[in-house]
Amino acid sequence: MKKIFPLMLAALFMTASSCNDLDVDVESQYVKENFPVTEADYSSLLGTMYSNLSSNFAINYWRMQELSTDAAIIPARDGNFDDGGQFRQLHYHTWTVDHPNVRGIWEWGFGGINNCNRLLNLVKESAASETSKNNTIAEIRAMRALYYFFMMDLYGNVPVIDVFPVGSLPATQQRGKVFQFIESELLAIVQQLPAKTDANATLYYGRPTKGLAFALLAKMYLNAGVYTGATRYPETVAMADSVLKNTNYTLNARHADIFAPANGPQIKETIFAVPYDQQIPGNQFTRFGFFAYLATAYGFNVGLSIAMSTTPEYYNRFNLKGDFRTTTWLVGPQFVPDANGQPTTQPVFYPGTTTQIVITPDLTLKPPKPMDLGNTLADQSKGVRSIKYYPDRNIIQATRLNGNDVPVFRLADLMLMKAEAILRGAAATTVRGELQTPLVLVNRIRARVGAELAVSVDLPSLLDERARELYWEAWRRNDLIRYGLFETEYPLPNDVLTMNKDVTRRLYPIPATERSLNPNLQQNPGY
Amino acid sequence: MKNQYLLPFLLAGMCAAQPASGQGITPPVASQKAMAAKPAAIRVTGMVTSSDEKQPIPGVNVLLKGTSTGTSTDKNGAYSLEVPDAGAVLVFSYLGYLNQEIAVQSQTAIDVVLVQDDKQLSEVVVIGYGTANKKNLTGAITSVSADEFNQGVFATPAQLLQGKVAGLNITKSGDPNQRPAVILRGPSTLRSGAAQEPFYVIDGVPGASIDLLAPSDIETIDVLKDASSTAIYGSRAANGVIMVTTKRAKEGQSVLSYSAYAAMDRVSKKIDMLSGDELRKYLTDNGQKIINPLDDDGSNTNWQDLLLRTSYSQNHNLSFGSASKTTEYGVSVNYFKNNGILKNTSLERVIVRGNVSQRFFNNRLKLGITFTNSSSNGDDVYQGGILSGMLFYLPTVSPFNADGTYKENYNRTGSGTRNPLSIADNNIIRNRNNKLLLNGLVQVDILKGLKFTLSYSTQRDQNNFGTYLNSASGLAVGLGGIARRSATLNKFDIIEGYFNYDRNFGRHEIQLLAGYSWQQDRSNDGFGVQTQKFSNDNLSFNNIFLSNPSSLAQIAFDNSPISTLRLISYYGRVQYQFDNKYLFQASLRNDGSSAIGRNNRFGLFPAISAGWRVINEDFMQELPFVTDLKARVGYGVSGNSLGFDAFSSLLIYGTLPGNSKFLNNGVITNAIGPVKNENPDLRWETTATTNIGVDFGILKNRITASVDYYIKKTSDLIYDQYPVSTTEYFLPTFTANVGKVKNTGIEVVLTGIPFRNERFSWVSAVNVASNKNVIETISNEKFTLKTIPTAQLGGKGQSGNFSQVVQPGYPLGTFNLWHYVNKNDKGVSSYENAAGALISTQPLTTDARIVGNAQPNLIYGWNNTFTYRNFDLNFLLRGVSGNKILNATLASLNNPADSKLQNIPRFTLGESYNDINGYLISDRFLEDGSYLRLDNATFGYTLKPNSPYVKAVRFYVSGNNLFVITGYRGIDPEINIGGLTPGIDNNNYYPKTRTLSIGLNASF
Repeated sequence: MKKIFPLMLAALFMTASSCNDLDVDVESQYVKENFPVTEADYSSLLGTMYSNLSSNFAINYWRMQELSTDAAIIPARDGNFDDGGQFRQLHYHTWTVDHPNVRGIWEWGFGGINNCNRLLNLVKESAASETSKNNTIAEIRAMRALYYFFMMDLYGNVPVIDVFPVGSLPATQQRGKVFQFIESELLAIVQQLPAKTDANATLYYGRPTKGLAFALLAKMYLNAGVYTGATRYPETVAMADSVLKNTNYTLNARHADIFAPANGPQIKETIFAVPYDQQIPGNQFTRFGFFAYLATAYGFNVGLSIAMSTTPEYYNRFNLKGDFRTTTWLVGPQFVPDANGQPTTQPVFYPGTTTQIVITPDLTLKPPKPMDLGNTLADQSKGVRSIKYYPDRNIIQATRLNGNDVPVFRLADLMLMKAEAILRGAAATTVRGELQTPLVLVNRIRARVGAELAVSVDLPSLLDERARELYWEAWRRNDLIRYGLFETEYPLPNDVLTMNKDVTRRLYPIPATERSLNPNLQQNPGY
Repeated sequence: MKNQYLLPFLLAGMCAAQPASGQGITPPVASQKAMAAKPAAIRVTGMVTSSDEKQPIPGVNVLLKGTSTGTSTDKNGAYSLEVPDAGAVLVFSYLGYLNQEIAVQSQTAIDVVLVQDDKQLSEVVVIGYGTANKKNLTGAITSVSADEFNQGVFATPAQLLQGKVAGLNITKSGDPNQRPAVILRGPSTLRSGAAQEPFYVIDGVPGASIDLLAPSDIETIDVLKDASSTAIYGSRAANGVIMVTTKRAKEGQSVLSYSAYAAMDRVSKKIDMLSGDELRKYLTDNGQKIINPLDDDGSNTNWQDLLLRTSYSQNHNLSFGSASKTTEYGVSVNYFKNNGILKNTSLERVIVRGNVSQRFFNNRLKLGITFTNSSSNGDDVYQGGILSGMLFYLPTVSPFNADGTYKENYNRTGSGTRNPLSIADNNIIRNRNNKLLLNGLVQVDILKGLKFTLSYSTQRDQNNFGTYLNSASGLAVGLGGIARRSATLNKFDIIEGYFNYDRNFGRHEIQLLAGYSWQQDRSNDGFGVQTQKFSNDNLSFNNIFLSNPSSLAQIAFDNSPISTLRLISYYGRVQYQFDNKYLFQASLRNDGSSAIGRNNRFGLFPAISAGWRVINEDFMQELPFVTDLKARVGYGVSGNSLGFDAFSSLLIYGTLPGNSKFLNNGVITNAIGPVKNENPDLRWETTATTNIGVDFGILKNRITASVDYYIKKTSDLIYDQYPVSTTEYFLPTFTANVGKVKNTGIEVVLTGIPFRNERFSWVSAVNVASNKNVIETISNEKFTLKTIPTAQLGGKGQSGNFSQVVQPGYPLGTFNLWHYVNKNDKGVSSYENAAGALISTQPLTTDARIVGNAQPNLIYGWNNTFTYRNFDLNFLLRGVSGNKILNATLASLNNPADSKLQNIPRFTLGESYNDINGYLISDRFLEDGSYLRLDNATFGYTLKPNSPYVKAVRFYVSGNNLFVITGYRGIDPEINIGGLTPGIDNNNYYPKTRTLSIGLNASF
């Protein structure tokens, strides 16, 4: 009998010891052991900087920059599209520390920054050549600087994080410090970044180039007064010239092509764009900004929102004769478009009727619901809609996406920035043999779209030119704050609400969720 | 002494494997006649009655001692037997009673009173890795046997227990394809699904799918409720363990049985929506009309009638088997077809089970194998569009155009934009599932009392899923059909090896258990793909090759990576009873889980409990009316590592949804990065339960009761959506151990026999459970949070709003809503905002306040069984009280201004047309969820023909959900109580049914 027990013991421990391993195979996912290995792995990894950028740039980031201004508005329609008041709060500057965009875009931006920091570690550890590593590191730092610019522009005082993981919860830095960080980063890497050529336009499309760094610096210097309290207009001109000197950047002959569904590396005006596609989600300009009842006439059959338009005041700035840009707004009786997107004489009717669709620019509210136009067909037809980002016929119901890439920086913007910096005191410079005065620059923009030429340019008319040229490109808030006009209100008829005109609203608040998670974050003044 | 070797080795464990009561004392078949009548033969007649009830006992064995001659009592307890002479001794034996021997001497009439045997009577209860006598239990365990199961059209065994077990809260809608939500003693985790459900053990196979079993194959279900009972199952037992024992032939028996039922289901309640004429009148009365002329063709369409149907279900079960001392086998076949009351929903299933075992070497080695195959075909519909569509969709339009096609107006806004009948008819969702469970068993009786068991089981779930949205589908307009199919295999392997040692030494009884288990769940091995555009709809999703997608964006692949979870455990248990009075049990389990962070993978889960059988103390003799009294106390800890990604602690690279592609040198490419913030420090979520209980019986156990009080504390809650700062992490959520939740409660079970005589009996059982759930904290040393908002219900103008919060001091499922006050003088719903002011505009999210919760205070069931001769009648009343339900369905329907676009319920006729805020989700629609339901009533008649071929046939009629008493205004108050956001009715409730069934059970 006594022999049995050692045997039993052995049996028990045999089963036990042979199966004491808790390291299971991860069979269908990439883990540390099998990723990143190849060059393609590294480029896929870097892709997360871009896929993250596209995920929120053209909708939520865009809304914070445009719906808070006169350029765009999403009024409710009998309670529909009130969405907890998020669009209304942007319009009246009454957003709170809980606003979904305030929270979501912070997470997007800092998530993107921390992802860049993490990528820097991975690249430094990789076995690639020094040159290749340095190029990649420059690319990552440029993208991080871009994300930081977005955060600094929206939230102002934010922490500066350049390592991953962080040792302790990062603390708030003053906006000026953040500005310095971005500036020094860009200056440190600009020479390492590739210069765009016709040959590499596809390779570097949607990725940082010298052009992006210069354009971003120009934008920072133009707004330096706002960001740091000290203006830097001559440097704005210098940075703009660094781009303007590159013959690979030229104004596109057809303005519409810049924003068309088929836009891409062939658009020589684009310095940096966020690529979108039916497979790269994040652009829904047609879903929100087009007019639902026109879908079939424009060649697709997808249910759209009856939501976003511009304000009558903003639309009224489109007052130049012959200006192509005016035709990118949908207003008045609607006709079926031709192959070029221009109206034919064939009217479009409201469904099931023989009544022609007529879009009216007014935004007359129907109280008591806040910022609500009502929901009759006439109410639905209020508000000028846009086809600047021309509807993508590949749109499908499930996703309602546009494939139109959305520019962040393009040559026309830099020309107008240069013109403004000169108007604000910088000296005009000569580029490629042409003395580029504000009037020269503005008229090059106008000539391209067939608009009557200006005889003189001052700061207000330059702002209006920016309004026409760059509408719905996510710069309006930035422009209005620089001009000190962010608090200008254009009351809607019958409105019971009024704008919060406190200048502290020039910064968005630090989201409440973030502050509860990181007590080292200081709230911005006024919140 | 051999035990010197044993004890140190089997440190902590053994399992009581007492023979099931009754087994081995099966009475021999009574001989019909007395043998060889000698001249001095005496005929003895008499009656056998029981000592406690003075009732005659039929079927008592009367045996001439020392021979195999004997008879048994008839149905009146009478017997008659010839004995050879006056020296004969008769032995009276009956299961559950003490044997009596009586010398015949010269008597010819011998009446016998049999006394119940406490020892024999005690029930056998299945506990982890063994069985135990109920009288020796120290934990909280409820046993439900087949004759107590609920009757009805049930696909899953959990429904058999609804209302029968104190503290077990089960909710189930009418959906044939939906599993019931089962919560034991309150929610103790922030995760849903497997993390929240009890753990199932089928015939000793831990973690086997409960869906594998046909309810009619089940003999008993034991529900292990407290940690001192469940801790032996360690990491997967935090929500209780449900042990299922299937029917098997008893030794010496051959059985053949057939049972079947047919049932008819109807919707138990519809929402009273307006007819087309009523809606037109309502609009006219208010100076309005349907906005778009297309939307009024003069029809009176009742969409609920078009989509809800009377459905028929059936179930057939055939089983046979036999058992001898050495061989045992059994086979059963079950066919189940449950048609849902919602058009085109059904579940059809065939289960085949077989088991065989054989003993060798003088019965010291037992080898056995059990297989179960369950093959099911579930048909479903896009319920989201239908359940809301059949309410919202305008009754003023006909379902069809003149040409027979489905009538649609895709441009209509509002909440009813797609023809719900078309959704039901033009889209298919089909889930074909095959589950196979194989279990092999080796049992060795090593020496007296010592047994080794080795068991290996493997379960394979093959899921073949397909959907087809045809070319007429309103969900895929103009796409020429969208087909999607996926095939995935889930495979679960478990190896268990354990020793049981079970001995009595005088007044000492000891049971030890020691074992090891290795388990691996490998799931999601497969693929899925979606494509579109077919020449015609005739192939459904069956041949995706013949699709014509025009771009890559029209083809989608499933991202469902293989997930592997491995659990390794060592466990042991000591049970010790002294003198039948003092009971003691301790167990320890060392669990390792691959899902837990590398540094904390193994966790120790101890449990200890004790019992005192007061009834066996001498001083209890002075209280003769008390026939049972036991006090129990136990404490135990169990872990939970289910319900979150098995690779949470690892760095996993992949693509993020909505963020997965980028343009790479002109080519659209996957952006691959970390898909979650890895947490190498993830540790076990642990639940510690203290349980104090008393069992007692009085009046010869005619009334028995159990009372249990428990405190269940879960700490290190694992939450995979825990918000973290993006200044620290690159993603805003983290799988972290944060927070504590506590459940305290009391459970009372009372069983009585108010009346019993020869012909008539009435058995009544009541169970009541009260539980208090509270989130204690959602912070830890690293993270601090005051509240986590949950339950985004959408709704007009309210997307982004949250309706519940997880907040310390409040239970899970706490509602955070706008406070409705009244209607203003214009009839507009008015609310109190955060500042205390009355406003008639839509409040802000910051105006919401905490106003009650979804957790019931009380769950109860009352079961009654009446028998009269061969008739039986059973009914079960059950209910809950004290819970709140958010009737977001009614809120969203209550929209007078949108009656130009969508239908309204009769309720809204009482509202002003001007009420522009009527539809807002507020505490106005937070309703009392208490209910009392006549869950089941069954009337049966048992035929016992005097035939050698048929033992018994029982016929019955049964009704389910016969009535509900509730103040709840929705379809039914039995709203899902599972998950993180319980108690919400949001246009997604598959209506509960009222069922009438007829059936028979025959044994041969």
